[in-house]
Amino acid sequence: MKMIRWLQRAVQFSLPSLAVLALVVIFIPSPAAAAIPTDRTFHIEARRFEYAPATLTINPGDRVTLELTATDVVHGLSIDGYNLEVTADPGQTARLTFVASRQGSFRFRCTVTCGNMHPFMIGKLEVGRNTLLWKGITLLGLALAAGMWRLRK
Amino acid sequence: MSLPQEIPWLEKASSAERGAATRQDRAAPGRVNLLRISWLRPLLVSRWPQFLVRAVTLAGFVFAITAGLLGSQVGSHNFAIIFVWIAWWTALKLVFIPFGGRSWCSVCPIPLPGEWLQQGGILEKGRRFGLNLRWPKRLRNSWLQSNGFLLIGLFSALTLTDPRVTGWVLLALFALAIGLSLIFERRAFCSYICPIGGFTGIYARTAPVELRVLDNAICAAHIEKTCFQSCPWGLYPVAFRDSSACGLCMECLRACPKDNIAVNLRPFGSDLTQPGSRTRLDAAFLTLVMLGSAITFAAVFTGPWGSLKSAAFAIGSLAWLGYAVGFLALNLLALPGLFTLTVWVGHKLSGAKLPLRQMIAEQSQALLPLGLMAWIAFTVSFALPKLSYILGVVSDPFGWGRSLLGAAATRWSPDVSGFSSILQVILLFTGLLWAGRVIRQRSWPVLVFCLGYSLTMLWLLVG
Amino acid sequence: MRKEWIARVIVIFLLAAAIGIPAVGWWKRSQGIVIHARMAETGGWTPENLTVAVGQPLHLRLTSDDVTHSFAIGQSDQPAVEVKPGEMTEVTLTLDHPGKYTFYCTRWCSVNHWRMRGIIEVTGQQTTPEAVEPPLYILLGLDIDGDHDAEVVPAQMPSALRGAQFQNMVAAVYRSREYYQTHSPVELWQALRSEPASQPLADQDVWDLVAWIWQSNITPQELSVGQQLYTANCSACHGETGSGNGVFADLLAQPDTENHSVRQTGQMTIRPADFTDPVHILSASPAHLQGKLLRGGMGTGMPYWGPIFTEDQTWALIAYLWSFQFEMEKLP
Repeated sequence: MKMIRWLQRAVQFSLPSLAVLALVVIFIPSPAAAAIPTDRTFHIEARRFEYAPATLTINPGDRVTLELTATDVVHGLSIDGYNLEVTADPGQTARLTFVASRQGSFRFRCTVTCGNMHPFMIGKLEVGRNTLLWKGITLLGLALAAGMWRLRK
Repeated sequence: MSLPQEIPWLEKASSAERGAATRQDRAAPGRVNLLRISWLRPLLVSRWPQFLVRAVTLAGFVFAITAGLLGSQVGSHNFAIIFVWIAWWTALKLVFIPFGGRSWCSVCPIPLPGEWLQQGGILEKGRRFGLNLRWPKRLRNSWLQSNGFLLIGLFSALTLTDPRVTGWVLLALFALAIGLSLIFERRAFCSYICPIGGFTGIYARTAPVELRVLDNAICAAHIEKTCFQSCPWGLYPVAFRDSSACGLCMECLRACPKDNIAVNLRPFGSDLTQPGSRTRLDAAFLTLVMLGSAITFAAVFTGPWGSLKSAAFAIGSLAWLGYAVGFLALNLLALPGLFTLTVWVGHKLSGAKLPLRQMIAEQSQALLPLGLMAWIAFTVSFALPKLSYILGVVSDPFGWGRSLLGAAATRWSPDVSGFSSILQVILLFTGLLWAGRVIRQRSWPVLVFCLGYSLTMLWLLVG
Repeated sequence: MRKEWIARVIVIFLLAAAIGIPAVGWWKRSQGIVIHARMAETGGWTPENLTVAVGQPLHLRLTSDDVTHSFAIGQSDQPAVEVKPGEMTEVTLTLDHPGKYTFYCTRWCSVNHWRMRGIIEVTGQQTTPEAVEPPLYILLGLDIDGDHDAEVVPAQMPSALRGAQFQNMVAAVYRSREYYQTHSPVELWQALRSEPASQPLADQDVWDLVAWIWQSNITPQELSVGQQLYTANCSACHGETGSGNGVFADLLAQPDTENHSVRQTGQMTIRPADFTDPVHILSASPAHLQGKLLRGGMGTGMPYWGPIFTEDQTWALIAYLWSFQFEMEKLP
């Protein structure tokens, strides 16, 4: 009974407590990576307006070498959150090596105007587990629970 | 979204006006009448501030058309593309709609020349011009606007990236608005055709701004109804149940001889939880179209699927036909079908005695905060990485090699990726939380529908 | 009524500015020459023919309407300039000799990139008519369409370093520049094989000697210039490793696509030549390769580089091609 009363009181302050809970979920530190860093090489073909492969999956701490080959016009590649850039002419493979120090999902984008859809030429670099996605799913679960609680009444 | 009955900082802002508070202020709980703020009142009552902003947006619009038609064919270096699809679109989605509802409509340049012709003057009315016909009754709804938005979705990849196409589309909208103003009365274009007006209207129900009558009795006793006579949209403020139709042009309060009209700040989403508010099926459909479009645009423009981008861009090709079929199937079949199903299940479980049509229309209100937050989250990842283009086209609007701001302007490129994905998660969370507070009749299957939608957007944007 | 008129004046003034400023810019822009670059499929250079008087400076403003291009003048030392989408690049050229100059794109911008060429005609009196000597392959009357396979090929890649130890066995006639340019490695090998002096050598030793003789006709500078030219102009089709598998190779190999305008002839392959294939390459002389390079065609998508490369550049490029067949590093 005490528990239920406590719960009821908690629900009365549900919005502030939900906000606090949400902030905790977002800023809680994610567990450190367990995988041993390795060297990886990806061969990426860039054509208008896609990268193949478009999704690269690695572990945090990996030393990554990207070999970028443009197959139609000059393309480039830069990764959100990393201060890197490389451009490749067709027939001239360009290389870029970096250490994936940050965990999460990052978009990489073309840096050389290659036609109309150039601003949307995008690929994905997934470094370890995408903790933000999981935090987002947790938050949506929270929102669902809050909604369910309200609908019960 | 937090929906307190009273907003503390607003209370504080209005406390200076407490002395002048009338009985009407007390009648509207949680509202702050902006017209009671002494420095703001003249800005809203006078036509000049609004006129000056409108004159500038009109010139900017014409400039965008000229830039689109004459300037560089490279979108990222053309004022038309960057200002219309990056700057304006971001402002509309991030500021005008969420905080001002239809506030953009009050300064939108597109209907102005037609309206000025209609009333025979800019600030004062002169000899009227045009046929002034009534808009057909069968079209007095948002079906045309929904279809217009679907049409935009079908051609978006080209329109958003090709300056010439953007120029012609803007010109066509302009011509359509002027033409309809000359044939039909008042703002027929804005109310029933403009696709932007369509979704701005439905989302205005969530916004913290409203225009309302203070005391209905005063209006009932007023025989001339000057507000209705002067409303460019042909609306009667006493009849307002929600904010979706009112374009916030302020003409009624300028015409009201009794000072009986308020422009209120209100809690977010007031129209949604208000018991008397009604939604029609056409608005529900438009709401669903907005959900479907947000998913499609997020997949096409921010996803890593090159073939999808190419398909959306290659208009007329077989691949594009596939994209079109998929896009229409999502918007016309999948989402409406799923939503109807969840409403129907919820309807059965709760045992409510309402017809299904009405249930669909009412429950679709929950999709408004959901869709609004999804659109804002999409805009964050669509437009923020491209903001650096804005200074570039200010410096060289036509891509003709000018450099009005110097080379430094073109080198500014902020990296917003880290902060923007956290923001997107918070936005989608807020959207679902808010939707959960709008759903009626204990219809939890609708909440599950909303969860599914939010998860899809989450995966598309930060996955 | 006064307010109304002020409002009308403001609107008209702003609209006039919104239309007038771009219009004036448009008009001013049409003074002077603006060259628009587009992919060859959608128009190439516009305009593509220019005329200028000899010695007159030619101001050009270059911009691209689609992707990154680059502007250069054939057979000149003028460095290439980048032509970027939506940006203006200014160049001033002064051409001192009358005649026709080819300007061209140096960045691969599609499989038809090399078709992006235009002509600058420099008019004026020719002061001293220069006698133009036809290229070597014409003087020799070579049939550059008639390829034949090498009758003999080395068992392993010939090494100039190994061949150097037999250099005393070679008669001077085989070491001349002229011999190098006009004979294929197979011809040299056969000639050396039949020389009594080299009878004690094994077949592979003779191939090493061929590699050494070839290398002695090639300077390291030539190799490095050749490599740069190859990377920029050839590797998109022939591949970075010379094996004919460049990024456009598959496009060229597709029969009946609009991407190659030349009909398929006989069993001749449409794929770019594989420079690492000894059967195909060792039977060709430098002059033969020069012909293919300058004239192009051959029923393939091979461009004609005659108007682009200088004679030195051509020989440097050919020198580099041999590095796909011979190990040519020098003694340390």
